[in-house]
Amino acid sequence: MKRVTLLFLIGLAALLVWASSDLPDRADPLAPANRHLSPELTELTEQEVEIPNMVSAVLADFRGYDTLGETFVIFTAGLAVLLVLQRSRRTPDDEEEAGDA
Amino acid sequence: MHDRYDSVILHFAARAFMVPLIVVFGIYVLLHGESSPGGGFQAGAIVAAAFVLARLTLGNRHGGRSLPMWLLTVLACAGLGIYMFGGILPLLLGGNFLDYGVIPVEWYNQFAGEPKTSRAAGIFIIEWGVFLGVASVLVILYDHLTDAESDD
Repeated sequence: MKRVTLLFLIGLAALLVWASSDLPDRADPLAPANRHLSPELTELTEQEVEIPNMVSAVLADFRGYDTLGETFVIFTAGLAVLLVLQRSRRTPDDEEEAGDA
Repeated sequence: MHDRYDSVILHFAARAFMVPLIVVFGIYVLLHGESSPGGGFQAGAIVAAAFVLARLTLGNRHGGRSLPMWLLTVLACAGLGIYMFGGILPLLLGGNFLDYGVIPVEWYNQFAGEPKTSRAAGIFIIEWGVFLGVASVLVILYDHLTDAESDD
């Protein structure tokens, strides 16, 4: 069984290596990924945002909603840990009283 | 969980060099987020690492004294609040939500050595929000997952 798995993984690796020879070069301006939105974002960063760091411009300006959501996710994670793991200072007696009231 | 480690070398290295250095570097990464690789998320993680280092060397109870749990909670909420402020401020000034183009920067550019655009100012505001949120939430996670004494 292990040999079958090994053979399968070797075949998969060979397939992926063969497929990667067909990928465009790194930072090729004519690659499909760089032809659709990148030129527009580059121009907008230069003309409107005027900061040197294009990543920050995309992260905080063009995709501000996205970053807002990410901040909410992190905040919610902290909130969940606080709610679940926060030590209650109530003694069991207090909790019984609170339950009665 | 962690008690204080009684090693002079460890305390000296951590408290005299590492923690201040890491905090200053984190603030640098935050302030340079617009002009070089960096930004709120990275700076938050770096500064949180400094406070986690203080807790690792001094123990949770002593190391957490400078930044208690109630303050961390307030800072996490303040981070999100600053981000929302950066989004709502353009809304009040007549623009769209998170559309920084209408933020007034003329008053700042009068005495600034390097003039800022409105959009750079907006990005700066929300980077601070992200920074505070990420840094305090990471320290909150560490404190609670290592079972710190919470003193709120």
